Amino acid sequence: MTAGLTRRHILQQAGAGFGGLALQSLLGADGVLSSANPMAPRAPLFAPKAKSVIFLFMYGGPSHVDLFDPKPALAKWHGQPIPLWKKEDSFMVGKTKNVAMKSPYKFAKHGDAGIDMAEVYPNLARHADDLCMIRSMHAESNNHGPALFQMNSGFIQAGRPSMGSWVTYGLGSESDNLPAFVVLLDKLGAPVNGALNWSNGFMPAAYQGVPFRSSGEPIAYLTPPKNVSASQQRARLDLLKQWNTEYAVANPAESSLAARINAYELAFRMQMSATECTDLKGESSAVRQMYGLDHPTSAHFGKNCLLARRLVERGVRFVQVYSGGNEGPKAWDAHDDLKRNHDLHCAETDGPIAALLDDLKISGLLDTTLVVWGGEFGRSPVAENGKGRDHHPKGFTMWMAGGGIKGGMIHGATDEFGYAAIENRVSVPDLHATILHQLGLDHEQLTYRFTGRDYRLTDVSGDVVRELLA
Amino acid sequence: MKLRLLAFMAPHLMPRFLHRSLLVWFAVQAIGQAAAPSLEEGRQHWAFQPLKHGVLPKVNLDSWPKNDIDRFILAKLEAAGLKPSHEADRATLIRRVTLDLIGLPPSPEEVAVFEKDESPRAYEELIDRLLDSPHYGERWGRHWLDLARYADTCGVHNDLDRPYAWKYRDYVIQSINDDKPYARFVAEQLAGDEVENADEQSLIATGFCRNGQSNDDNMGKTKEVLEQYRVDQLDDVIATTSTVFLGLTVGCARCHDHKTDPILAKDYYSLLAIFNGTEKLGMAKGAKDTKDKDIKDSNQVMALIEKKPNVPRTHVLLRGMAAARGDEVQPAMLTVLASKPIAFPKAEGTTSLRRHTLADWITSPSNSLTWRVLANRLWQHHFGTGIVASPSNFGFTGATPTHPELLDYLARELIANGGRWKPLHKLMLMSATYRQVSSAEHGADPDNSLLWRMNKQRMEAEVLRDSILTASGKLNLKVGGPGIKPRIRADLLDASQRNKWPALDKETPEQWRRSVYIYVKRQLLMPSMELFDAPTTTDSCALRMQSTVPTQALVMMNDEFVEEQARFLAARAQRESGDDLLKSIERLFHIVLSHSPPESRKTQAIEFVKQRELASDRMAALTDLCHVLFNNSEFIYIE
Repeated sequence: MTAGLTRRHILQQAGAGFGGLALQSLLGADGVLSSANPMAPRAPLFAPKAKSVIFLFMYGGPSHVDLFDPKPALAKWHGQPIPLWKKEDSFMVGKTKNVAMKSPYKFAKHGDAGIDMAEVYPNLARHADDLCMIRSMHAESNNHGPALFQMNSGFIQAGRPSMGSWVTYGLGSESDNLPAFVVLLDKLGAPVNGALNWSNGFMPAAYQGVPFRSSGEPIAYLTPPKNVSASQQRARLDLLKQWNTEYAVANPAESSLAARINAYELAFRMQMSATECTDLKGESSAVRQMYGLDHPTSAHFGKNCLLARRLVERGVRFVQVYSGGNEGPKAWDAHDDLKRNHDLHCAETDGPIAALLDDLKISGLLDTTLVVWGGEFGRSPVAENGKGRDHHPKGFTMWMAGGGIKGGMIHGATDEFGYAAIENRVSVPDLHATILHQLGLDHEQLTYRFTGRDYRLTDVSGDVVRELLA
Repeated sequence: MKLRLLAFMAPHLMPRFLHRSLLVWFAVQAIGQAAAPSLEEGRQHWAFQPLKHGVLPKVNLDSWPKNDIDRFILAKLEAAGLKPSHEADRATLIRRVTLDLIGLPPSPEEVAVFEKDESPRAYEELIDRLLDSPHYGERWGRHWLDLARYADTCGVHNDLDRPYAWKYRDYVIQSINDDKPYARFVAEQLAGDEVENADEQSLIATGFCRNGQSNDDNMGKTKEVLEQYRVDQLDDVIATTSTVFLGLTVGCARCHDHKTDPILAKDYYSLLAIFNGTEKLGMAKGAKDTKDKDIKDSNQVMALIEKKPNVPRTHVLLRGMAAARGDEVQPAMLTVLASKPIAFPKAEGTTSLRRHTLADWITSPSNSLTWRVLANRLWQHHFGTGIVASPSNFGFTGATPTHPELLDYLARELIANGGRWKPLHKLMLMSATYRQVSSAEHGADPDNSLLWRMNKQRMEAEVLRDSILTASGKLNLKVGGPGIKPRIRADLLDASQRNKWPALDKETPEQWRRSVYIYVKRQLLMPSMELFDAPTTTDSCALRMQSTVPTQALVMMNDEFVEEQARFLAARAQRESGDDLLKSIERLFHIVLSHSPPESRKTQAIEFVKQRELASDRMAALTDLCHVLFNNSEFIYIE
């Protein structure tokens, strides 16, 4: 209990000349009250390869067989039933028929490694040797809501903390002025499940994802009401700090009182730093062009990719960038017309993703930033409504780059139709375990106790996919 | 361990690796951990023992106890060499007890009257008055709504609106105001269609079984998926029922015998057998059937009922999978708790009466667990921490009681009072333990687990907002009805595409109602509620966190609501105290903090207002001061 005495002692000292150095030492990252700050940086379990994660979430389910996992058999069997397909694989019962559908896109091999990629990702193709293609992903629900929950939190139902929450719970924040877990949404808004996709679940609210907007106010309630000036706000906060400090000194047993003073100061700084971070004016026109900001199709996702780089640069731990919002064709959910849907979404994301990888590489940040690309599932090898594809979780592709992951490799495989992952299968918990591992966290040891039980992001399964590690 | 991940999943999609790794995991757990207690060991667990009729402990400081609670507390303090703290002053007491019982601060006039009242019964009369207030139910009903994972929308997928969910909220508030005996309260919520004198209100009460998340616009399209969805929904009912009423995590036994408690998978499915004949009445707006057609449901209540006495056969479902049927089970209570089997009625009449039988068993005076759990919940809300610190887990992994004899004494008092809460509130509030100051110092027991002082508590989200509205004079005390949607900054609304929250430019008195009436939209919780730890509603919430994060500061600094109410408060202070600045400041302290400002605060406040006046005018300067008062720790922490 010496901490209590020390704290009290220091608080009394702080009271003598509060606001000055004493308060600084009290509240700073190394101060005795840093334990009161849930976002204080914590050392990983072992030396990490990555400090940050950028998860490019292609919401709706991008088609593996049309982007990264070419299947000549689908052309051969086009219009014919395939032997593997079962009636109950359909989500859109009645609309999806067991009729193979060939890809509308041409594939080519790229990079020294010869990674197969469809023609709709021409810029990304330049990075083939940076990418680690996982062609053997599989997930457990063929329905957006539950599948999003699984990809984000490991569980098919709501209520568990999302991966970003686990990471910030495990590692704290490297940024004094910005939230540790940031979510960037598509221009069309949030995916289904809304804010539950970046929920802290049963963890403290501090670990919740904070949505940033790329226009207007970046964080909720970041700016004072219209009629309140900056000097007026500072004057209020000065008196508040004085009173709150006196109160904290008089009540040394309540550590949260000191944490409150800290929270107000961080909030005040955040008003400037978050605004500074989202202000892209300082970026050169070359950079803006590179990210596709001057092109209406790619401008929004491009802006978010650029923002993701700026956030990571400033120490933000986990950034999730969504492509696709709302529902149906607005996301990657190509039920009716695969080509039309993927033409659009690839055009929105190809340039920006390539630019992000270039940019991270130039600055050296790619070494410590793990970039993950993927959706909540893939798409059916058989046709829905003739030209579309249905939801399909039994086999699909995701890729990773940077952050200590091998580039220019293909891991795992689906069968000849792209129906199911058959070689070196990677489950969602395996993926989660691998991501945590790159951050220096052991998925079996990163636990959170709730209602008498230790919970994990990976629950009862998950293996680090060692073959992917550089 | 609860394998919810298997939920929603079509059985044929069960990946073989998962099954295999589960088996491996179970094997590892079995080796690596002590095995779950046997039924025999389980029956020895403290929480399952009959309530003790202990003798009152002997204490030395005989002058301190005001009732028997204090004897239990004092005995432990003396054994640890500690002394209780002195009684808080009158202003602190009335503020504490008013916020505690009705969730609103006392008016300066009420404080003044109470401070002057020299009657020895003044404090007791205050408690009686507050317990009679209709606002008591709004405050304590909110605690129950946390447990009942109450919300106005479905949560999953498109977050459909539940147009009649609010009736359950109003039912809870009314029941608690009426001090309904707990046995009846439980029976109505589990079996409102089966209770004696069932009526619309008791049907509405079964909303308890319907408040969980649902996926009504996207349940699935095949028979197998729909059956899995149905048992998943019942899983939510079983898990909630057992944690709320029994403080046991029975949901963990869905896939296998409980890992740490003597609860068998068979027990879980015997509970499922109790609910297995139920049907939903009242669907969400926009619910779809398997052909994506809107479900027409004109029922204006949201209930869970039975329409016939015959319940389908119930089987153990291996790993929780609807398609993987094991042995057939009969309805039964938890083996570890029921020493002999409970007889369930024969299938006749209009329902099976199984849920009523369950409710009767839960609240039977001989079921000590139920009464301990309830007594502990009431204690926890008054004192900040329960006698058992894990209020919904009284199992082997739960906390052990700091004062087991006191807990049993309180549980016996509850039973003796017919399961009514109000006498127990009064007992706790009348104690010297409750009346202690909260700021005293001691070297030992820094966590205050022995209660040598009162705990300070941060206002809950609702209390904070309601207290601001009370101070500004704008609180609208209208009771009940559909939820309100106060202003949320417009650019926040795009995080929720569907069933949008309206973008308001200006709030009106309709939005200034008590926070318990705020519409609970699962995908877009009111930021000022969510940031101050209002529950996320995915599971039953027995204990809110008291987190401190910068985003709380942002919303308190920058939300137009706080700004506007500060302006109203400044106008009120001027109106009530004229142009004299000192009087205005004194008035403000009385309104916001229930006491007069000490000299140093007066000087600081006057200086601040005069300084701010240079840049604007008196009204604006006072608004600045009011804003500081609302953000002030002394306002947000209850002494």
